[in-house]
Formats: sequence, C-alpha cells, structure tokens
Amino acid sequence: MAYVRKNAGALTATERKRFVDAVLEVKRRGEYDEFVRTHVAYFAADGETQLRTAHMAPSFLPWHRRFLLDMENALRRVDGSVTLPYWDWTRDRTATSVPWTKDLLGGNGRRSDQQVTTGPFAYATGNWTIKVGVTDGRYLTRDLGRAASPIQLPTKDDVSWALNDPVYDVKPWDSTVTQGFRNKLEGWGTGSGSASWHNHNRVHRWVGGAMLGAASVNDPVFWLHHAYLDMQWERWQQAHSSHRYLPAAPPGTGDAQHGRVVARHDKLPPWSDTPDQLENMSGVYRYE
Amino acid sequence: MVDGDDAAAAGATEQIRADTTAGPGRRRMMRGLLSCAAALALAPVVAASRPAPPAAGGDSFDETYRGRRIQGVRLPEAGRSTSDDAWRITIDGRPLHLMRRADGTWLSMVDHYTSYRTPLEAARAAVDELGPGQRLSDLSPDPLDGMLPDGVKDMMGRMGLTVDTGGMGGMDMSGGGGTGAPVPDMGMGAGGRHGVRA
Repeated sequence: MAYVRKNAGALTATERKRFVDAVLEVKRRGEYDEFVRTHVAYFAADGETQLRTAHMAPSFLPWHRRFLLDMENALRRVDGSVTLPYWDWTRDRTATSVPWTKDLLGGNGRRSDQQVTTGPFAYATGNWTIKVGVTDGRYLTRDLGRAASPIQLPTKDDVSWALNDPVYDVKPWDSTVTQGFRNKLEGWGTGSGSASWHNHNRVHRWVGGAMLGAASVNDPVFWLHHAYLDMQWERWQQAHSSHRYLPAAPPGTGDAQHGRVVARHDKLPPWSDTPDQLENMSGVYRYE
Repeated sequence: MVDGDDAAAAGATEQIRADTTAGPGRRRMMRGLLSCAAALALAPVVAASRPAPPAAGGDSFDETYRGRRIQGVRLPEAGRSTSDDAWRITIDGRPLHLMRRADGTWLSMVDHYTSYRTPLEAARAAVDELGPGQRLSDLSPDPLDGMLPDGVKDMMGRMGLTVDTGGMGGMDMSGGGGTGAPVPDMGMGAGGRHGVRA
C-alpha cells in the first residue's frame, strides 16, 4: 500500500523528530555523503557533449524522483514510519517559517559566515559535518533570501506558468528551451543572471549557501524542495492526462542531441529504471 | 616530461580505486595521472600577470576581487574535446571548475543554478559566495577537462575526483596489466555511487 508524503508544515512533533533522527542516522552511516557525491557526479551541463541526466535535460524530473526514492528508502531502513516531507515554498515563504524551525531543519545561517547554528543540522551538534563540499568549510551554510541582494521565492503563479504548459518538454531538450513543462519548472531562462532563476533554480538560490553549489544535497532542504517539485510533476500529469514524458524515442544519429538525453524507454543512469517506469508512483507513495 | 595526452593515456590504463574519503592512495594516483598535464596547463597562468578586462575575447585574466586572487587562462584549442571554449580558472590558487551552457554562458561548482556571460563573471560570482576563510575544495570533477579524453573525464567526474595541483612530483603509474579498456575499478562496495541504489 502506498505511503503518504506530507507537507512539512503538517507533520506532528513526533513525525518531525523521527524524520530528523532518520536523516541524522543515514548521515552517521555514511550513506548521506554518497547521495551528495552522486548529485555532483551527475550534474552535466548542456554546453558539453556527454549524456545529461539530472539537469538541463528531460530526465530532470524522473532522475530526481528516483534519487528521492533512494533517499526515502535509506530513511525507511532506519525508521519504517518515515517518509519525505515536502516544502511548499509558494506558501511558506519566509526565513522563519516551515521548514526553518529548530525542530526540523534549523534556521538561517548567521551573518558573519552563513553558518547554520540552530537546529539539528548545526555544526556544533557534531552530527552534521560536511564531508563532500564545494569548499573546505565543514559546516552547513545558508543565506535565506540572500541578505546582500534580496530575492523572493517563486510564487504560485510561477508554478502555474509551468503547470499550464501541456507539453512535457521540447527540442532540443536542454536549458535553452522556452516551452515545455520541464524547463519551466527546472527554471533555466534565456540569458544569464536573474533571467536564469525560475522555479527550481530560484529556490536553490533563495536558500543559498550549500544549496547554491554542486553539493546542494548537503542541506536536507534539498529533499523537501525536490519532493515539492516531484509533486508538481504529478499535478501536471493529472492536468494533462493525454500527455507524457518526452522524448518518446531517442534523438536520431543526425540529431545534435543524439546520445545526450534519456528518452522514455531508455535506462536512466545510474539506475536501470526508465522514465516510462517512473511516471506513475501511485503504487509507491502519494502526496497529501 | 611526457605531454598531457601521454600522461592521460598512461593514466587511463591505471587501475583506479576510489575510497569513500580522499585518502592518500587516491590522491597519489590522481597526482600521477594528472601532474604533468597540470603543470602544462598552469604554466600560462603563472606567466600572465597583467590584469585583463572581463570582456570576451581576452585569453587570460588575473585580478584580486574582494581579497581573492582570480586567475584564468583560455585553454589552447588543440587540447579541447568537448567544448568550443575552455578555461582554467583558479581562486587563491585552487581550481574552480566551470561548466558551459548551450547558450554559451558559464556556471561554476560554487554557483550551480545560475549562469554568467563570461568565465570571469562566473569566477567573481563564486568569490561572492565564498565565506570568510573558506577555500575551494577538491570536489570539482574534471578541472583538466580540456586536456583529457572523454572516458577519463567521465570516469573522474562520476567518481568526484579532481587534480591535486599542489603536488607536481611523484608519477605513480605502476598499475600492472593495463591492457584492458579504461574502465575504473569500481570495487568500492557501499562507498561507490552504486551504493546509493536502493
């Protein structure tokens, strides 16, 4: 029977504690740092010629769906009652709202060095030492809202802009496309700077610190953020039930994207699952 | 000294072993694999001491930005395999890995969800994000991407390996029986990327 992924704000005190304890145990076992490494290794950009799976590609959504399932399974091996909560950043929009509470993810980084000093993931607890990081800093960092140059989280309208596009993705299946649900949600804009911070990307930037870099998985909010994005994929499917993951077939040998994107029935590295197999999760979990 | 291609080719036959931590074995191996290529790649950086403008078209830059030394040099075209342009960037001497977007903009390991018009802008943006006293780590997956074959780059990237430019000696190419394809030894149990499979 399918288990339930809940809004982080709807968790009871006990559920929050069990989630946090399970995350800390996955970290203690050394498994968490492997998730960090995997995310670093599978971030390939589209200006290069290798296969792209996790970002700037149609498989952005199924890749992260599968990645979340691996993490959720790791948590559930520790505590079978735990599931991944999601953070609805269209509703919980401030640096003090859910999930930035002391009993969940802890608060903002301090001004001097962005170090998170509150909650279960503060360095001083001894339970959350960064081992695979972009810098040699060993503590978790955040800069919620970007103090030096403030930005806002995406809004409900921003998410609707993505959800209202009936086509999953379009050629050339990369970060330059201006149509299609996938990139409108992933959030690569045309040009550079603020134009390239839509939905998913903008949230990484709003959280800042570790979440801005290749090792963004080091901040546990990564999972809550991507669970919310995963939920949007399900909402999009419900709204456009005749539409599916694209491309349905691999780009041909004459196509510049040949060998660079994962089609519907291709295996999605590092797993053996295909996007087709990952489209329907109703037998595994549901959102409420 | 062997040239970069020879060093990489020799390294490609090396049995690669990744530990869950950046232990001395892995570091020594990477140093052996890459030290010669690194020496070649960094030589122009040392030579380029004049400040260069950020505009595209320059082949190098060297500036102090917010107290950090940013140096960059465009790699020679001959060594490139995957991109029409490639740069070697360091911040305070530590390599900053850049990736290229299809629209020609650049993103760094530090600032991975935004892209910038030039390598220098991306490097400055990375400095903006570095906390006081923090230095870049050795996480960048393929700092010599312009000079290594795709297979080696891919292998390095997936294993989270990078070059240790701090050590230029100690060629250690003693891997025996290097007759097979350049497939890394993934015998690392739960420490490998396959360890995350459910």
